[in-house]
Amino acid sequence: MKALFTFINFQSLKELKMDQTTLINKDVSIVAYYFKNANHRLRCFPKRMEYDGRRVNFTETGLVHPTKKGQRTIHVFDMTDGNADYRLEFDAQNLTWKLICISDTHYAAHITPVFAS
Amino acid sequence: MPRISLPSLLVNTERPQILHIDLNSCFATVEQQARPLLRGRPVGVTNRLTKNACVVAASYEAKALGVKVGMTFSEARVLAPDLIMIETDPPKYHYVYKKLIKIMRSYSPNIGMKSIDEGVIDFNGTRTNVNQQPLVVIGHEIKQRLRDEVGPWMKCNIGIAPNRFLAKTAASLHKPDGLDVITHKNLRQTLSSLQLTDLTGIAERNQARLNAAGIYTPLQFLDAPADVLVRKVFRSVCGEDWYKRLRGYEVDDLEHSIKTVGRQFVLDEQQPTEESLQARLSYMCETTALKLRYNNLAAYGVRVYIRYKSGDYWYERKMFKTPVFSGSDVYRRAILLFNRRPHYDYAREMGISCYGLTPSNQNQVSLLEEANRQIWLTEAMDTINGQYGEFTITYASSLPSRGLIKQKIPFGSTRYFELLCNRA
Repeated sequence: MKALFTFINFQSLKELKMDQTTLINKDVSIVAYYFKNANHRLRCFPKRMEYDGRRVNFTETGLVHPTKKGQRTIHVFDMTDGNADYRLEFDAQNLTWKLICISDTHYAAHITPVFAS
Repeated sequence: MPRISLPSLLVNTERPQILHIDLNSCFATVEQQARPLLRGRPVGVTNRLTKNACVVAASYEAKALGVKVGMTFSEARVLAPDLIMIETDPPKYHYVYKKLIKIMRSYSPNIGMKSIDEGVIDFNGTRTNVNQQPLVVIGHEIKQRLRDEVGPWMKCNIGIAPNRFLAKTAASLHKPDGLDVITHKNLRQTLSSLQLTDLTGIAERNQARLNAAGIYTPLQFLDAPADVLVRKVFRSVCGEDWYKRLRGYEVDDLEHSIKTVGRQFVLDEQQPTEESLQARLSYMCETTALKLRYNNLAAYGVRVYIRYKSGDYWYERKMFKTPVFSGSDVYRRAILLFNRRPHYDYAREMGISCYGLTPSNQNQVSLLEEANRQIWLTEAMDTINGQYGEFTITYASSLPSRGLIKQKIPFGSTRYFELLCNRA
């Protein structure tokens, strides 16, 4: 009986880890940017990131939205390099970039995602 | 007393001036927009990643597999084993919400948000000089602007009709990414393709009422005389509203005042201790008081409820002599009621609400020094929390719940959305 309960708990834990997101929360370097004319405003997006001794080239920008931490404005960039989704935060006051989390493609690997470009 | 028969109305033949916008599976679509790897995959959005938490929004891929909003995570996983569940991220939705409002305001000053993902533009009075294009063209333009300004994955349904109800019905005809118009010319044809429960506001109970009067289809509902709807079906003024609503006359252009302010929480522990329950209650009281102050209100009445694991429900409420608006005062009153609860089972869900609302006299200096101190302390806390993020300073009693009870996306109302998104 005990073994059965252990099995169920293990199953439920496995289920809850469907979204394979790894929290990083570390400062990173954005070494290349690209610019886009959006709504009559030139906007800047990260293009290449150096993190943990490797370079990540972003291929698509998902959503860029502002959020607040107290009175500080943080710009959240959801980026992808085609293999994983990255959540970056730009602190507009301290001018620092922080990698918040990485979500990988282990989930539902047999389904092909649809990219905009 | 003789009965006065209600006048019969013809279908409204005016040109449609109401445009209803409905973002398709809003939260799931926004998540798919933000994370390109989720696109084309079944995605469910939930308020908390636990087995019992329900699906708040499902992507169209998930819906195609049978996942419905309101299902628990476990149920949804049975239908869609590849379902990817993610937690809600309010700032993202707030951003899209603000973008949508901005787009809508560029067409007419008379707009209204029905919920986070639904809005109505009233074009009445704006067609002569500004919006001279046909509404269908404007509808396609709105769709394109949403894609340009938010992202290419964003889709919305648009419905155009003479009143809000029919515009919403039109917006739900062809999902996703549809655009439909209901006028007096195609009203009967449109209604003939629908079930009674497809109409907004007609669920099981209203359907049963209509069925009892021999009304089984929307067309029969449309043809039913006003007298039958008022006196036999709804037995209230609702019958007259439905009579007008179905014929394209506006009855839903109403603003409702706030009657209650509250907070509820599905407990994170299977067997919560007395201390953890009190900590959760304290935290909820604090957030409820924050909502009261956000609306410049104070409350005379407090109501506390608990839903037990067995499914039993208990509540207690009381009106007090003086109104309150600070977290500690709400907690003091709530704990008084909370301690009267029966202890025969573990609690699964608990909630608090304040009623008997009145405009706050927070700015009024009291003759009693003690009352003034309470006001100044609350003001000082609000200022510090406004500067450095919510719950930078909080009551010690709520501290164990900090980080556990997260502010979640409210269904329907967008009343506290700004407050929710100002939180760190």
